[in-house]
Amino acid sequence: MGEHTVASFDEDLEQISKLIRDMADLAGSMVGGATKALLNSDNVLAQRVVSDDAIMDARQRELDDRAITLIAKRQPMAHDLRHVVGAIRMAGDLERIGDLAKNIAKRVSAVGLSATPRDLSHSIDAMAQLVLIQVQGVIEEYAAGDAAALAKLRAADERIDVKYTSVFRELLTYMMEDPRNITACTHLLFCAKNLERIGDHVTNIAENAYYVLTGEQLPVNRPKQDETTMSAPVT
Amino acid sequence: MLSPDMTMAETVVEKTKIEVKNLNFYYGQSKALKDISLSLPERSVTAFIGPSGCGKSTLLRVFNRIYELYPKQTAEGQVLLDGKNILDRSQDLNLLRTKIGMVFQKPTPFPMSIYENIAFGVRLYENLGKSEMDGRVEQALKRAALWSEVKDKLNASGLSLSGGQQQRLCIARTVAVKPEVILLDEPASALDPLSTAKIEELIDELQADYTIVIVTHNMQQAARVSRQTAFMYLGELVEFDRTEKIFTSPREKRTQDYITGRFG
Repeated sequence: MGEHTVASFDEDLEQISKLIRDMADLAGSMVGGATKALLNSDNVLAQRVVSDDAIMDARQRELDDRAITLIAKRQPMAHDLRHVVGAIRMAGDLERIGDLAKNIAKRVSAVGLSATPRDLSHSIDAMAQLVLIQVQGVIEEYAAGDAAALAKLRAADERIDVKYTSVFRELLTYMMEDPRNITACTHLLFCAKNLERIGDHVTNIAENAYYVLTGEQLPVNRPKQDETTMSAPVT
Repeated sequence: MLSPDMTMAETVVEKTKIEVKNLNFYYGQSKALKDISLSLPERSVTAFIGPSGCGKSTLLRVFNRIYELYPKQTAEGQVLLDGKNILDRSQDLNLLRTKIGMVFQKPTPFPMSIYENIAFGVRLYENLGKSEMDGRVEQALKRAALWSEVKDKLNASGLSLSGGQQQRLCIARTVAVKPEVILLDEPASALDPLSTAKIEELIDELQADYTIVIVTHNMQQAARVSRQTAFMYLGELVEFDRTEKIFTSPREKRTQDYITGRFG
């Protein structure tokens, strides 16, 4: 994409892009931090994730302001218009990812160290790693302008859903084995559900980014979400 | 025969009002339009956009052969109005111009009364009695959303009106002779935003009865008023598509560069 005749238009767009990259970095660090805190019962780290959410919210408000101002001032068209509207929507998803990471962090003290069996930790860790790769990857691919990679990344959400289903079943097993596990396992279940939903938000971001880059919508058939709703009522 | 995979929706074809086929246009030796072909559907608004000198106004001027007023301007190819080539020598120019009306960038009221501005053109083609003519004038002014502002001063000079009113008077004058096509060459570029909004509202209403072609430098205006948009550059038709498509995700890089303000 060439430069605008009005150079300050490019600067305005770049500031919006930069905010999206910042929010994505922050989202990645919050998700990583929250799961690490959960698995290590690290209350200090959990607290940091909780306070990071305020930064995330502030960034989103700043992005909204800039995007609205840009639309009013520049009346963007075509790719520029998709870029700005896409940024507003991506920022919404990133902000929700921040909320979900914060929610995981807030459960850290309630779960405690003892109740988490090693196997289960391992499963949640593996799921979190998948989610983290998605969160970090989506804006990287968007910044690189790689639409094909975004389509692939969206499809990869299915692996998170599969993982979630297995974590869900593991948790049920632990709860049935020993009712004293129920409190901690319920919190862990919410944590796993949050991770699964973070994956969904990444999917939204990938779809938006794909539209911004190509002007075309990805086909609607998304990977199936949470399969546990088929086996038992959860929330 | 329809091919089997064709759905019903695709078989509904809009009636074409103007069809341009392989049109070339010359100002003396210089070629201003290069092999233009496009179809304008009936009763809808088509916008021509592009940088100065791209040929959009030239194309508009071919539609009513107004270019023939100037020497050394020639058009080759075909422009079919309802299937009949208007570039044909046998085409009656007066008849053509009653069918295809034109409004220019600068309001051009005649130096006569508001009433006469409208009646003048009508008299050239029709012999109406006083009350019929009064009716026609009122109808045209109402159609151009000007009636309520001028009904008590129809004898005042057309030149006494504001710029926006003058432009609507010109539209009323065009509408009064009952054309089928209305060509608008930058109709709002000299007007304030409120007058512009009135003209745009008018265009929106007029498309129920007329085929409208508008040339505009204002991209937002093209996006607002038209159903299809043609982007022209250096005498070529670069892209012609639904307006939503042109302004959200055009196919051609040159279109994208122009509408996003990235042109050289």
